[in-house]
Amino acid sequence: MNGELVQILDGNTFVVSDSRGDIEASLTDPTGLFSFDSRFLSTWILTVDGQRLNPLSVDDLQYFESRFFLVPGTGTVYVDAKLSVIRRRAVGDGFHEELTILNHDEKPVDLKVRIDAASDFADLFEVKDALEKKGRYYARVDKGRRLLLGYEREAFGRQTAISATAPAKLDKKGLTFAVHIEPHGSWTTDLDVVTAAGAGGTYVRPKYERGERRAQPNMERSLERWLKDAPRLESDSDPLKVTYRRSLVDLAALRFTPPVSGGHSLPAAGLPWFMTMFGRDSIFTSLQALPFTPELAATTLHALGDWQGSRIDDFRDEDPGRILHELRYGEMTAFEERPHSPYYGAADATPLYVVLLDEYERWTGDRRLVRELEREARAALAWIDDYADLMGNGYIWYQRRNEETGLENQCWKDSWDSISYRDGRIPGFPRATCELQGYAYDAKMRAARLARDIWKDPAFADEVERQAADLKRRFNRDFWVEDGEYFALALDTEGKQVDSLTSNNGHLLWSGIVDKAKAKKVAAHLMGPRLFSGWGVRTLAEGEGRYNPIGYHVGTVWPFDCSFIAWGLRRYGFKEEAAQIAAGILDAAEFFAGRLPEAFGGYERGVTKYPVQYPTACSPQAWSTGAPLLLLRTMLGLEPVGDHLIVDPELPPSIGLLALLDIPGRWGRVDAFARGSGALERLRSSQT
Amino acid sequence: MSATTEFFQELGARGHEPLLKKATGTIRFELTNGRRKARWLVKVKKGDVTVSHANVRADCVVRTDEGLFDQIVTGEVNAMAAALRGAIAVEGKPDLLVLFQRLFPGPPGSSRQS
Repeated sequence: MNGELVQILDGNTFVVSDSRGDIEASLTDPTGLFSFDSRFLSTWILTVDGQRLNPLSVDDLQYFESRFFLVPGTGTVYVDAKLSVIRRRAVGDGFHEELTILNHDEKPVDLKVRIDAASDFADLFEVKDALEKKGRYYARVDKGRRLLLGYEREAFGRQTAISATAPAKLDKKGLTFAVHIEPHGSWTTDLDVVTAAGAGGTYVRPKYERGERRAQPNMERSLERWLKDAPRLESDSDPLKVTYRRSLVDLAALRFTPPVSGGHSLPAAGLPWFMTMFGRDSIFTSLQALPFTPELAATTLHALGDWQGSRIDDFRDEDPGRILHELRYGEMTAFEERPHSPYYGAADATPLYVVLLDEYERWTGDRRLVRELEREARAALAWIDDYADLMGNGYIWYQRRNEETGLENQCWKDSWDSISYRDGRIPGFPRATCELQGYAYDAKMRAARLARDIWKDPAFADEVERQAADLKRRFNRDFWVEDGEYFALALDTEGKQVDSLTSNNGHLLWSGIVDKAKAKKVAAHLMGPRLFSGWGVRTLAEGEGRYNPIGYHVGTVWPFDCSFIAWGLRRYGFKEEAAQIAAGILDAAEFFAGRLPEAFGGYERGVTKYPVQYPTACSPQAWSTGAPLLLLRTMLGLEPVGDHLIVDPELPPSIGLLALLDIPGRWGRVDAFARGSGALERLRSSQT
Repeated sequence: MSATTEFFQELGARGHEPLLKKATGTIRFELTNGRRKARWLVKVKKGDVTVSHANVRADCVVRTDEGLFDQIVTGEVNAMAAALRGAIAVEGKPDLLVLFQRLFPGPPGSSRQS
């Protein structure tokens, strides 16, 4: 119909409409006004004299605001172009819409302007799965001033309040305005749509009723400061500058302030459907953004620490010490039809939590937080040994205990067919994927440093270091595929290798678990024709049984994955290889105006010439947004050592000059400069 | 003695709870049983806990049915899901309740795999 959907958001409140600004949702259609995982409006249709409007253009320059320019009439011939209609919409606690109609005629006009409004109060999960509602709906006009749409199930309540500033006739299905406009005159009304979540009868007070004349989303307030606080980038590569700015703005939009964080923000997983706390995504994105916005990591560590598992709960796949996978607030979670209150089914988030804590301190010098979270960090380490080792052989294994609504694959490659042998067979459960062992190794090594330097517990430091060394020794023996000279994707329950060649090898370099003697072979595979597409590293190597260049985790290239692989290559001294990956991913970003998709096809770069985007509903995705940031770090070779920031750059040929100014950290603010071989060549060619 | 009374008395007797090391503040639980209302005030300072019936201002007030709270302290009902569906009303700082709910046991019959 009207082409692309338009999204605006503020935290986890967002509006998805068509290009006219209308919402016309069915249970399975993803348009509407959403907040805290519930839909608060499923119908919001504007008509003038009974007619729908036609879009001329949409301005959605800001995340929280869009403007729709419309004219009456249907089809391609405009019946009456003597009227213009402008809807300016900003999202906050609900949304605020300024509706303006301009009369371009020499004669006055009388119009019937109507807004139809309704809500199905669907849970976000229902929008995906189309399920029946169990509660009671109501609609009533409150004192002639507000239209109240509501839904109640036991003490669970959701309500939408709609009001207008211009005189309107309200009924249970919407608002009608009798509008008279003089020649060349205009008419305007403000519309407020306010969401309220009832818990025991108390309703959240809407932001728009606090006397603010104009809806002002939190994002608008803070975006400018956010951009000002981030390091400045200078380069001879204009696309890189575009990508950097895009990443910062998108990261700002992805900030999510969970109710327990004292007003601080952490990165949510993706827009708009994953605007909530995810252990894995929030941690990876915080790691990528550390040199730029370290405060995201602090909030992530706090919030995930608060929610750390403390008991055995099969429904939620919860164990003591385990870091959560996903937290949701909707009806199905509330009534335990889904386990997300929170759900703990991730095997990587817990060791990665310790990794982030250490990396955060190395950048910021914030020893206080490390002391404050000592108990949580130790509980996370204990989880690795006491709860994750399902086979009792010293590795992290995963198998869901919630067989109905839990997750089968509890690693980042979480689709059903992501873990396979070379011949395409899929192993049983539990599974021990390789990168989990790398994260465990890294967590223990980093915990040793924290224990020695900050917790003042050298005995514990010695103990975890000993465990890490033992893990590394066993891992390099048990996971090494002799005839391929790379690390197996996983071990199965019989201890046999799930032997396909995958991008996970790069995460192993990042973790440091790889024996030095094996690193060269691993790097050669990552950069070899079976894994490297020219843009980036394929999730699964060409030639493997399940390889498919557009298979979600079995052949596509993930920018986030590649950014950690580049970090891993740097860790083992493969600077040029890391730069080559950075170049590929940053070149790809150019095709998406600086906004990298979650994944793109694994096709050979020379064949398609452009990266083929994997179709996905969620954009931007937090860890794709963070990928260029981490790649900047790896190209500049930024590494905190003591109270200093070491800069050891290696640029790809496509970038001649790169400077990152005012990098925040324990050193205050410092600048990093890099000059590539490309700069000299360009200089020479400009002189001739 | 109800499960709730037992839970609070045991907590008070322990005096220190490592799971609450990150928490400092006061939570008042107001538990309704018909016309009777039981109040429990839990004061936490970096894991040191005192329990009383004092009726003073608290950083976080939790209101629910005593019957439901009995089920929470025995692990039959999950506190956060109950809060999401409005069966528990929370006023003030929700972070204190997020930390405090660590003390509630898991559902009876959950597997042991440690």
